[in-house]
Amino acid sequence: MLELSGLSKHFGGVRAVDGVNLKVGRGDIVGLIGPNGSGKSTIVNLICGLFPPTAGNVLLAGKDITSLPTHIRVGMGIARTFQNIRLFGQLSVWQNLWVAQNSDQHRKDGSFLKRWLGAPGAARAEIDRTLEFFNLEKKRDELAANLSFGEQRRLEMARALAANPSLLLLDEPAAGMNAEEIEQLDERIRTLRKTGITILLIEHHMELVMAVTDRVAVLNFGQKIADGGPAEIQANPQVREAYLGSSNVK
Amino acid sequence: MDDHVVSVLSNIGVISFVALSAYLLLLTGEISFGQQAFFGIGAYAAAIATAMWGWPLAAGLMLGALAGASSALLVGLPTLRLHGLYFAVATLAFAEMIRILLELFHYQVAVDGELVGPNGTDGFGGIRYVFQNKIGAFEYMLLIYTLLATALAGLWLLERSRLGVAFRMIGGDETLAKTSGIAITRHRMIAAALAGALAGIGGGLYAHLTTYIEPRIFDIMLGVHALAYGLIGGLGTALGPLLGVLIDIGLLGSTRLFSGYRMIVFGGLVAVLLIFRPRGLLNEEMVHRIGSFWRRVWPTDPSQKSHGKT
Amino acid sequence: MKKTAMLSAAAFIGINLVFPAAAAQNIRAKADVVCEPTKENLTYDCKIKLVDARTNAPLTGVTLTVGADMPSMPGVHNLRSVIAQAQGDPGNYRAILELEMTGVWALRLDITGATRDRVVKVLRFGDD
Repeated sequence: MLELSGLSKHFGGVRAVDGVNLKVGRGDIVGLIGPNGSGKSTIVNLICGLFPPTAGNVLLAGKDITSLPTHIRVGMGIARTFQNIRLFGQLSVWQNLWVAQNSDQHRKDGSFLKRWLGAPGAARAEIDRTLEFFNLEKKRDELAANLSFGEQRRLEMARALAANPSLLLLDEPAAGMNAEEIEQLDERIRTLRKTGITILLIEHHMELVMAVTDRVAVLNFGQKIADGGPAEIQANPQVREAYLGSSNVK
Repeated sequence: MDDHVVSVLSNIGVISFVALSAYLLLLTGEISFGQQAFFGIGAYAAAIATAMWGWPLAAGLMLGALAGASSALLVGLPTLRLHGLYFAVATLAFAEMIRILLELFHYQVAVDGELVGPNGTDGFGGIRYVFQNKIGAFEYMLLIYTLLATALAGLWLLERSRLGVAFRMIGGDETLAKTSGIAITRHRMIAAALAGALAGIGGGLYAHLTTYIEPRIFDIMLGVHALAYGLIGGLGTALGPLLGVLIDIGLLGSTRLFSGYRMIVFGGLVAVLLIFRPRGLLNEEMVHRIGSFWRRVWPTDPSQKSHGKT
Repeated sequence: MKKTAMLSAAAFIGINLVFPAAAAQNIRAKADVVCEPTKENLTYDCKIKLVDARTNAPLTGVTLTVGADMPSMPGVHNLRSVIAQAQGDPGNYRAILELEMTGVWALRLDITGATRDRVVKVLRFGDD
């Protein structure tokens, strides 16, 4: 589904990402972990095309998308969340999902006016389902800025899913969540797995990563130092060293 | 209606078009100090069409809108990729360039033995369409407000459409808009063209209201005010900039209350609002609260309705 | 697309029927204006001579109102217009203007009565 080959991003002298190779198969849930500053978020930004890589390529479903602008990639089925919550605070919850909807079937559905001023039936039903899935149906007319922290986190993921992506990039979705919320997040990711969506999960919360992923890749100083099943990674001495060297073990 | 009132209301209506023009760009997060240039281009184009080529007013106004939109697109091509301060300065530079070009613009023909047409810094007088066709001041005011109402209705629809919401998304968070699949530059170009057309119609109306235009009318003062109207009145709805115009021209400019001190009061008002209410009086929060109130008063859910029933 | 084009064409024609191109030729006014400061601050005594632009004959039997606008801030300075008094030779009028500040003002001479027209004269007021 997703393939990074020799991907590098240097900011001046800093090698934020340095020759990373990574393959994510269709329907896989792959964890990407590593200490702070190891280049995880930079990789997500490179996959989205927020800035060009210094070297290397990004392939989506076998197609080289390295030089495509962000909105085209999004149209090809990539959606993401942000480490720091990013929402359109001045739009309602419903509108946040409405504009994120991206699937072609809805583009041809209903009349032009209906699509531009609202959403045709199928699209509406999909928004309703997404709202329900994230337990936000009572907040549909609320401005996103007025939601609680937990609700905003859920809305962010809901917004990403509203685009009906084939590849979902989750950048630390559990940050700032309490145990109960993480439990719910765990369940949601497990439910999503059944839909066949591919997920790249960046997370510090090891318990969550180990519980929901099929495979885990470990970054340190911009380089991939390990790649394997959750149990294998936990036992890897290099990974232990990278983590024990910093205080990021949770 | 009293002549003075008609004159003040006509001015308010015409200036509202520039305010709406600046507002539309503010929605997409771009601060333009250059909308007065498109107002000026619209004014000149419409005036040349009626006073020199003998076109009817409606055609002249359409030409003004078209000229405003196309010149906004031309200016937008190199500038819309810029951000924040860079965009603001670039628009200001372009607007001043256009104003100076208008100062050098001489194109006159004889109408009834009198030269009519743009004559550089000496301006362009004798735009007499309204008088020749015996359109009264009150009727002309009605025309201004009919067009303004049409523009408002258009903006009302726009803001409920995907396009309008996309404008707000770009203004709210450009990166997030991008990762939501929105083509930023293309949307900004559409916004710039629409804003240029609004300013152009306003300019055409202004030229025919006063019968006289000159490059000085379209200098930075008008641009700064156009921006300030949205910032005072609020960015939550297109009625916001109109409220701004009403406060400035209706309250500060037309009553003798502040006479010569208008600019001081106005500047202070802008500064205070930017600190305490950065998105103006009618900001999104306020508009949302009014909307919720209506929804409670009206039993049917208007949001459901506007989203289209299946 | 085709529908939109036809609709706008129809609207265009409709509006042009309501506001047709200039046909009737009115008398076209021409004006000379001289303003002198008075003892009163910001108050000016303006002498206006109105003629028919085609024949150069003095324009009489009309009501002349004088307003003022600042070109540097269009539409904002809404001074209440004053009615000019006919004075001296035919076609000569006089009006006392009370401005808000010195600088360049566009005087708006509105002619009503036998004919309707507007002439704008740009003058600099103040000491420089």
